[in-house]
Amino acid sequence: MSVSREEVLRIAQLAELDVDEETLPTLAEQMSRILDYAAQLSAVPANGTVKVFVPGPDAIRFRADEVTPSQLAFGPDEFAPNFKEGFFVVPKLGHFE
Amino acid sequence: MSDAKAVADRLVKAKRLNALLTPPKELRKSLNTQIAAARPTGVLYGMPVPVKDNICTLEFTTTCGSRILEGYRSPYEATAVTKLKAAGALIAGKTNCDEFAMGSSTEHSAYGRVLHPLDKARVPGGSSGGSAALVAAGAVPAALGSETGGSVRQPASFCGVVGIKPTYGRVSRYGLVAFGSSLDQIGVFGRSVHDAARVLSVISGRDPRDATCEDRDPLRLPTVPESLQGFVIGLPKEYFPAELDPAVRRACDRAIRMMKELGAAVREVSLPHTAYAVPTYYVIAPAEASSNLARYDGVRYGPRFDGATDLRSLYRSTRGQGFGAEVRRRILVGTYVLSSGYYDAYYRRAQQMRALIAQDFRNVFDRGVDLLFTPTVPSPAFKAGEKLADPIAMYMSDIFTVTANLAGLPAISLPIGRVKGLPIGGQLIGQAFLEDEMIEAAYALERVVPATDEA
Repeated sequence: MSVSREEVLRIAQLAELDVDEETLPTLAEQMSRILDYAAQLSAVPANGTVKVFVPGPDAIRFRADEVTPSQLAFGPDEFAPNFKEGFFVVPKLGHFE
Repeated sequence: MSDAKAVADRLVKAKRLNALLTPPKELRKSLNTQIAAARPTGVLYGMPVPVKDNICTLEFTTTCGSRILEGYRSPYEATAVTKLKAAGALIAGKTNCDEFAMGSSTEHSAYGRVLHPLDKARVPGGSSGGSAALVAAGAVPAALGSETGGSVRQPASFCGVVGIKPTYGRVSRYGLVAFGSSLDQIGVFGRSVHDAARVLSVISGRDPRDATCEDRDPLRLPTVPESLQGFVIGLPKEYFPAELDPAVRRACDRAIRMMKELGAAVREVSLPHTAYAVPTYYVIAPAEASSNLARYDGVRYGPRFDGATDLRSLYRSTRGQGFGAEVRRRILVGTYVLSSGYYDAYYRRAQQMRALIAQDFRNVFDRGVDLLFTPTVPSPAFKAGEKLADPIAMYMSDIFTVTANLAGLPAISLPIGRVKGLPIGGQLIGQAFLEDEMIEAAYALERVVPATDEA
């Protein structure tokens, strides 16, 4: 198995995601299988000269730097869980001396 | 023209499929308002088009099939939706889908699975399973879906309808909730090639709000051709492996014979890196998803799962409880392949492989091949629950569709036969921005192929 329980927990921390204890073994097993499966890519010799393929326009088009009216049908005060005086309200971060 | 009540009645009748997330009452009310405001001169006047729930609409909530966006109303709408409305179409509710479009069976929705219209024990495919099921059930002539790895073509194949994935950059992604930004495109379902193509032509074209959308005029629809004279159609041998379902092979052989009879030149070609497409996709798509889905943190959108004592635990508990199992798995895989120490082994390799896969297609098209013909999916619709415990088995159902997303090419799936009553789809992959050629060939094939006959 390529991914250990500890590694899943470390990755979950990077991803800001709670993982509960019961699902941890299954998750580690499934992630290992997915990553082992993806590891077949390393069978192909690495080629530093391959140009990365990006679909879409060759060059980013710039649009005119003009102020246009906002298209929002309603503001963040209606879709944020808590929004006051122009700010998103979040729980207290901690105490500072 | 249709009246709002008849449109709503047809959709509500298909309720047992669990394909539509919009409650009937809300749907009826909105359709009444929309029909009164619709432009009678629009080319799609009165046409009901339900929209996948990961495409933002002002009329209805946009939840992406996720608890983390439960009840979320977008303050703006997708450009594709604006264009549909300008053409007189009616936005006929939001369709159920795999959570954040991650899945191939529409079983990964927080709002329950979608049933296959012909066999309720089976899945309609995914992730745009709700849109596919509604078109297949005859509730609507067309619907919008989205594609990251085959999420329009695969359910179109399973449900026996037409599904088009346009070239990357043909349709604006503005208002399409991002999953894998370098792969995502809005796609179209239709009862017929023409129904799908006319909706595609309406939603296509430039959009100043999406820098990845090409500066081009909307797609012009071709006429239905008399023959396929002059078309060179390639059959990539990697898409017809020995283990291919025999019925799928028979249906493809029949369609190929018919294209020959219509005058097409058919030749075998090779796309040598095909075997690496699924592993490449399942590195790149989760990597992009882990970044795109970082914004769902319980602060700016949707419900917040409480009990947190500080900001980080608020993020973690909201995301841990708000996302379903498949989404959590992909975020973790994506974070892993992008993390220090693994980036080169996984992500960089996958990027290189993507370039080689795109080059395979260019090589074939440079040698005079106009279009490629392949099966859309290796098998007909599978049973619900069959592949849930095995993510890799589920991913393999995208094996013939992910390549077009990786290479940014247009592709269409159309029904070419049935096996034991279940539809089989055939796929045409075209060259970038040559959807018109691809649609022309699909028109010709659709006219002759016995789509509902056993193969």
